[in-house]
Amino acid sequence: MNNPFMDIARTLENKYIVQWKENGNAVIGYTCSYLPDEILYSMGILPFRMRGTGAGSTSIGDTYFGPFICSMPKCILQLAGEGSYGFLDGAVVIPGCDSMRRMDDCWRKAGGDIEGALPEFFHHLGVPHKAVDYSLTWFRQEIEEFVAAVEKHFSVKINEDRLRESVKTYNRGRKLLRELQELRNLKSSPVSGAESMAVILAGSAIPRDIFNSLLEEYLAELRLRKNPGTKKRILLAGSANDDVELLQLIEGDKAVVVADNICFGTRFHPDIVNEDADPVSALAEHYLFRSECPRMFGDYKKRYSILREKIDSAGVDGVILQNIRFCDLHGSENGLFERDLEKEGIPSMRLEREYGPMVETGRVKMRVDAFLERIG
Amino acid sequence: MRKETKEYNYDWMMWRIFEAASRVKDGSEKESRELLNYIPSFKAALEPMFSHGEVGTSYLRVVARYLDNIIHAKERGQKTAISTFCFSPAILYAMDVVPITLELLSVMGTILWKRGTSEYLEYCCEAGFTETSCSSQRGSLGAYLAGLGVDIDFVLCDSPGVCDTNANAFAFASTYLDKPFYQLNMPPNLTGERSREYHRADFRSMISFIEEQTGKKLDQDRLREILIEIEVQDEICDEIEELQRLKPNPAPVEYPLFIYATRFLFSGMKEGTVVLRNILDKVRENASLGISGIAGGEEKVRALFCYIDHYTTNFRMWDMLNDNGVAHLGGILSRQWDISSPLSLEKGDPEEGYGIRTGSLDEMIDSIAEINSRLPMIKSIRGPYDMPHMWLEDNLALARMYDADMIVYSGTPGCRNTWGMIKLFARDTEKQGYPTYIMYSDAFDDRVESWETTRDRFEEFLKVRRLV
Amino acid sequence: MLAGGCDIGSLTSKAVLMNRGRIVGAEIIKSKPEPGESAQEVMGRALAKGGYSFEDISFCVGTGYGREKIPFVQETVSEIACHARGARWLVPSARTVIDIGGQDCKAMRISIDGTMEKFITNDKCASGTGRFLEVMAEVLGVSLEELGNVSSSSKNPVVLASACTVWAQADVIRHLNENVPLADIAAGINNAMASRMAIIANNIGIEKDVCMTGGVAKNAAVVAALEKILGVRVKRIRKSDPQIAGAIGAALLAEEKISGGPQ
Repeated sequence: MNNPFMDIARTLENKYIVQWKENGNAVIGYTCSYLPDEILYSMGILPFRMRGTGAGSTSIGDTYFGPFICSMPKCILQLAGEGSYGFLDGAVVIPGCDSMRRMDDCWRKAGGDIEGALPEFFHHLGVPHKAVDYSLTWFRQEIEEFVAAVEKHFSVKINEDRLRESVKTYNRGRKLLRELQELRNLKSSPVSGAESMAVILAGSAIPRDIFNSLLEEYLAELRLRKNPGTKKRILLAGSANDDVELLQLIEGDKAVVVADNICFGTRFHPDIVNEDADPVSALAEHYLFRSECPRMFGDYKKRYSILREKIDSAGVDGVILQNIRFCDLHGSENGLFERDLEKEGIPSMRLEREYGPMVETGRVKMRVDAFLERIG
Repeated sequence: MRKETKEYNYDWMMWRIFEAASRVKDGSEKESRELLNYIPSFKAALEPMFSHGEVGTSYLRVVARYLDNIIHAKERGQKTAISTFCFSPAILYAMDVVPITLELLSVMGTILWKRGTSEYLEYCCEAGFTETSCSSQRGSLGAYLAGLGVDIDFVLCDSPGVCDTNANAFAFASTYLDKPFYQLNMPPNLTGERSREYHRADFRSMISFIEEQTGKKLDQDRLREILIEIEVQDEICDEIEELQRLKPNPAPVEYPLFIYATRFLFSGMKEGTVVLRNILDKVRENASLGISGIAGGEEKVRALFCYIDHYTTNFRMWDMLNDNGVAHLGGILSRQWDISSPLSLEKGDPEEGYGIRTGSLDEMIDSIAEINSRLPMIKSIRGPYDMPHMWLEDNLALARMYDADMIVYSGTPGCRNTWGMIKLFARDTEKQGYPTYIMYSDAFDDRVESWETTRDRFEEFLKVRRLV
Repeated sequence: MLAGGCDIGSLTSKAVLMNRGRIVGAEIIKSKPEPGESAQEVMGRALAKGGYSFEDISFCVGTGYGREKIPFVQETVSEIACHARGARWLVPSARTVIDIGGQDCKAMRISIDGTMEKFITNDKCASGTGRFLEVMAEVLGVSLEELGNVSSSSKNPVVLASACTVWAQADVIRHLNENVPLADIAAGINNAMASRMAIIANNIGIEKDVCMTGGVAKNAAVVAALEKILGVRVKRIRKSDPQIAGAIGAALLAEEKISGGPQ
């Protein structure tokens, strides 16, 4: 059985984007999960979560970013500089973290040097680092300013009915993704972590309607799969990962990643957006208040309890806490997670890695194998 | 961590050192000189201090006082809070809370000890904190995480949105030590009604938090006193900033450090004003005589530090500057942003500097919020580097004002923020005609790049760019 | 009837033959580019020492980076598990094992019954690995073995950049040019190495007895420096060469397979 999402996961400009553009529609890229996709989608614009998929080097990235920076924004900038992001009509930079935030500065500078590297529409969306009443007000205002900028540049108008529809469509996708997770939680988990990752990635890369129907079909097929359920069950936590090969490397033939709490993973779609309230308010509240990211400082206890819940629901044997080198937010939170998981007798392993072309696979495999042996 | 290091608390050791150091000059000239021979480990660090007469000694006294406050907080019935250098302690003093500023404590150990704060830096990693995080917090944080410091009551920071690595250190500390945490959050824009409202709400919320932690209400009169004293301090610093425009610069190379450290330690408190006044007196004296603040007497190069200094042992960076005739025009830490500061006036935007109003409580809270959002980094490192009021604009204005010959970037590898834009910044400043030198060392950790190598490369730059 | 253990690392390859819990043959060679070739050669030499041939091996376990490429093994196991096993055999009271290989540095904690409790690795760069010492020894113009001895007379060790091997190298060259005593430079090198190792050791939590495996364990000065930083005694391995701990562990696992149960 073919996983239709694998191709989407492995390509940057997938065939659905090509089709979307051929139909005369626009695509806006964004860097962090705090952008309310629904709004753009309702305006007929495809929101695309930017990745470093396919970056073979960071020569361009390194020209603008200094050395002590995580490789994810470097890879994204590399692709932009090489022209691989030519399909973007716009980009939104969100201060997810210091490194990603400097994408704004670096990309604009690169745009001055390399023709066509910078999309015509470029916006900075200021997302607060905490979720309280006044930060929600700020965030809402930021969204309104963003909408006004999009309306002006793309000559479209936001429409409440279409927005409500869009919210429903995205919620449908979220429900389907929940069903996927329920399948993963089963002892006889019929789907691998790599396959699941591909599904989730696709959710941020193709039109939502198409995604929903593909996923419905896929879920129906998955339900027919039989699986003895003998592999070790892993939860993958930590820094953003958009590379299915990392999952494949971890799983090998001895393990299955049944749950995760990473960005680009299930962190992306935990709850349903309230369909009864005013849509912009509901979206602002939904995106700001689901504090699963350590960028929302001071919420460790909440995030730990979310992690624990996932470990329990998925019947996990061990937790792999990975972070990209220089990712201090996840790297140090992993240290705390490890401490607290060990206290509860849950085996965990910290793994520092590079983001980008899957180098150092030998080293990563060695660590993972040793861990799997340990939890055997 | 070696056994010896675990025997005494870090903050206690620093207190004893500064307490003793501040009294060395109590004796006669001869006695003081002889005494230095009995403290060979600290001689090299203290001599530069004493060469600055009353400025140096009053500075030592004020650091000792700061540490004394920390050590005795508990017995005096006061709460302690760890916070960051770019968070104004004024509000804490107004609410009778003793501030423990991590970066200041890290600087102390780095300058005074041959091994710096390496063992505490390492302890952070052993505790699960990332090695790649900024060493400025880690240097003293390690001691507190290891239980080698006073008991901390709560944790405050104002760096989210400005410096996540910094904020992360405090968030980690609060989780690891299980202490209450409050973050002031910085939107990307400095000015504008939206930002003003945000800061207002944020600050009020923080005051409630502190009131909850201490069980005491904010004393308005106390706050008023402190704000008035900040104005006094600002006036002094404005004049010092103005005098540094002279050629040669009459301020010795260590003075920027004395100025910013004093303000971080005792903003709004009379203890700090004493030191600042001593500094102003000396700078005025040099200015009236037309002499350079450089120890050798000859100013050859005027260097604007766009970020922080390098805190290698025994003030060797300042030795290097003196030896090469390099005048220190201040850095991001020593800048003044009140509305009547030379820099605010030079830039010309009425909203750029903060104003102090002491009428109603609301006005005072607004003032404190404004002051805070114009502290180093909080002001210029929040939004993209080339936006109004941000890093590039500020430094170019400074470079022009002070007639800089070069710009120097000194920081730490943990600074995700500046390393994400320094190359762009340097390109722009070079284009404007300012040779810009980027240091790859760690201001708080010589094991990253040894001081000897750092100095070699700096001097090489001076030669290659024909600055000397 | 022999149990074989083959550890193919990136810098050195090791082979061990055991018969009823006793080592009957062992060898260490520099790894060749092809792991399969390294395995053939090192095991061949180990067999030759005891007058055996490949047919005498009943079961062989492979480990190390090149483990998947060894043609004559029946099973592969991670080098972490093998090192822990081997260390336990070498020092029966070992609870904490620090292994410094050519390219990485690991710490493992083993429970009383021999199971692996926790492990951690730190191999993002050369500092804290055998490679660091190799580079430094070359700059000083001494052999790796001498590097340990030379530092014993040092009174004033230099402080080296320990985060980057290349920068440390520059430092060493400068010290040499300034005629700093060789002993002090060597001592600085050993201290830098030990402090990198101490970080991961402390991260895993020290439980006595502590022992060290891998080539660097043969450097007495580094071991002594580490002892000083950690504040615990590192138990010296006398039973055999600590560098072959991984291969020993692999051979022990092979023996279990032969006898049909844990020893």
